[in-house]
Amino acid sequence: MKILVLNCGSSSVKFQLIETSLELIEQRADRLIAKGSVEKIGSSHAIVTFDVPGRERHRETPEILEHRVAIERVARLLCDPEHGVIGDPKEIDGVGHRVVHGGEKFANSTLINDRVLHEMKECIELAPLHNPANIRGYTVARQIFPDIPHVAVFDTAFHQTMPPHSYLYALPRVIHRRHGVRRYGFHGTSHRYCAYRIEKITGVDREELRIITAHLGNGCSACAIDHGKSLDTTMGFTPLEGLIMGTRSGDIDPAAVLHVIAKEELRLSEANTLLNKHSGLLGISGISNDMRELQTAAAKGNEDAQLAIDMFCYRLKKYIGAYAAAMGGVDHLVFTGGIGENSALIRERSVDGLAFMGLEIDPARNADPEARGERQISTATSRAKIWVIPTDEELVIARDTVRCIVGVIPPPPA
Amino acid sequence: MRLRSIGVVGAGTMGQGIVQTAAVNGIDVVFKEISREHLETARRAIETALDREIDRWAITPSEKKAHLSRITGTESYDDLRHTDVIIEAVEDLWDRKSEVIHDLDLIIPDERVIVTTSSTLSVSELARETRRPDKIIGMHFLRPVPKRALVEVVRGFHTSDDTYAVARRFAEALGKTAVEIHEYPGFVTTRVILPLLAEAMQTVMEGVATVEDVDRAMKLGFDFPAGPFQIADQMGLDDVLNSMEHLFQELGDPKFRPPAILRRLVRAGHLGVKTRQGFFSYNEFGEKTGGAIGGDVK
Repeated sequence: MKILVLNCGSSSVKFQLIETSLELIEQRADRLIAKGSVEKIGSSHAIVTFDVPGRERHRETPEILEHRVAIERVARLLCDPEHGVIGDPKEIDGVGHRVVHGGEKFANSTLINDRVLHEMKECIELAPLHNPANIRGYTVARQIFPDIPHVAVFDTAFHQTMPPHSYLYALPRVIHRRHGVRRYGFHGTSHRYCAYRIEKITGVDREELRIITAHLGNGCSACAIDHGKSLDTTMGFTPLEGLIMGTRSGDIDPAAVLHVIAKEELRLSEANTLLNKHSGLLGISGISNDMRELQTAAAKGNEDAQLAIDMFCYRLKKYIGAYAAAMGGVDHLVFTGGIGENSALIRERSVDGLAFMGLEIDPARNADPEARGERQISTATSRAKIWVIPTDEELVIARDTVRCIVGVIPPPPA
Repeated sequence: MRLRSIGVVGAGTMGQGIVQTAAVNGIDVVFKEISREHLETARRAIETALDREIDRWAITPSEKKAHLSRITGTESYDDLRHTDVIIEAVEDLWDRKSEVIHDLDLIIPDERVIVTTSSTLSVSELARETRRPDKIIGMHFLRPVPKRALVEVVRGFHTSDDTYAVARRFAEALGKTAVEIHEYPGFVTTRVILPLLAEAMQTVMEGVATVEDVDRAMKLGFDFPAGPFQIADQMGLDDVLNSMEHLFQELGDPKFRPPAILRRLVRAGHLGVKTRQGFFSYNEFGEKTGGAIGGDVK
């Protein structure tokens, strides 16, 4: 099947066309046909890029004022006689939509019907920056591709298996009931994919495994996957909690935030930006939110950059320890995401000293400059295995779309 | 229809505030001033305001760059022709505003809405200067524009429902809440706040309490975010005086009669936050730096 994967932001649409099916998933033979993006929607010079493996990148800068025009453009590009990859939009068998927040309503991917759409809209309150664009993308795509199934894949769904003792905050219970304030967790598709790959690579059923996954990218989160289910994850009610990130603080005493708001006379929006955009690696180093730049600066003796790296690794190490405790041990630790896949230094520093709990990294394997793709980086004798697994969220969305279409994932109630 | 671009005529404090707010909310802005120097001054002021936002953690340096990229200055009305809504923010004097509205009417395509920011002049009378009275509407912003969540959308006698809908959408695009006002001197905010300011000044003049204590009492007693004297300083004491005189004249009600203390400060050139000295003294960012003026101005 040819599945179009759409990831709609407030001013962008990212897309991939992926050939996949149950058989191809089993054989890991699913294939990227084309991918691209439309950026700066709403301006007279939007940026459209279109990549087909083996071909030169196609780029255009037309006026694109809204998502409808953007997705129509995507459809036209896919079928374009010169640049396209299919002859007719009817060749597309389904559309998979990334939806950031599924609240407490969605524990799995789902075919979208009117009822599902209604429930997606009810989650807007929880993700006011993301869900509206995701929903807008769906509404428009449904008009452009009216006769094929559309599937929603939620960032939060995988974590819906968390038990109350890990997802509740110790606030008066009424706050949860009234406002839905609890841990939801994000990056669910990525954590799930990593756990799935470990199961496939090791041939051990996930029901037997205790896995810790560390998705370290622009946003960072770790997840304790106990016997195949998300038991706990570092991101919380919003993607701000937990690990230190490029510009996000991660964990902080909420009273410290209240104190700063009072002392600096901040508005809520300013405090929000302080925590989400001025903090994290950028805030500590004062240089950059980019781990590569920090590593370069630290190597040249910049102490602030070094401190940012130290804090980043220390916070992650604490969570690895905590999650091992929560699961009664750990069998596999996975690094993924831009930093997780590419920074040997961060991987090494984050597990440094964890041999006592069975995590021994092999410095040579870890730092092998030639190594690419999925690989084990623990020593031969390490009781728990350490892995690098490049994540592929679009592939997960395409695969879930197929599973929903063929009924492996049951359809939603009408 | 989504609002993509606006034209702003006049980039004084009010105009700058509107330009900045629009750009920050992702709207392209073309603003017109009378000379290169005026354009440059306004642009620098907006940059300073955005730098201040960075200092307050409200935006990032890259966001500042993106916001500034949406702002274009011009000396020609022609460059406003292609914007979705035109808003004039020149001095609140009949001759200035009526001239600008008249000129815009000749140049701007007939179907476009023209907004006036006047807080004292009549929208209906300004509309009579044009061939499109149904497309003229008032929007009364409060200062500082980027910080105040309210805009009073003022319907003149001829203003159509469609025009009102455009203005309301414009307000929402700026991230503001609109309240609908049927034209009458002082609208809601000015009419209700002025007697309070006048009474506060009268209270000090009668020696009942100090400026600081009146502000403190109203802040703590009624949860005002700022006391009446600080509010007056933020509004601009010359503007407060003008508004009081205007409403006194229009409505004939003595509760709008300007107190002597206000006249004295204005004559001395102490106009509040914008001159860094009013009832209180301020730094360049409009933050209070010193205590209140002493009793000698009584």
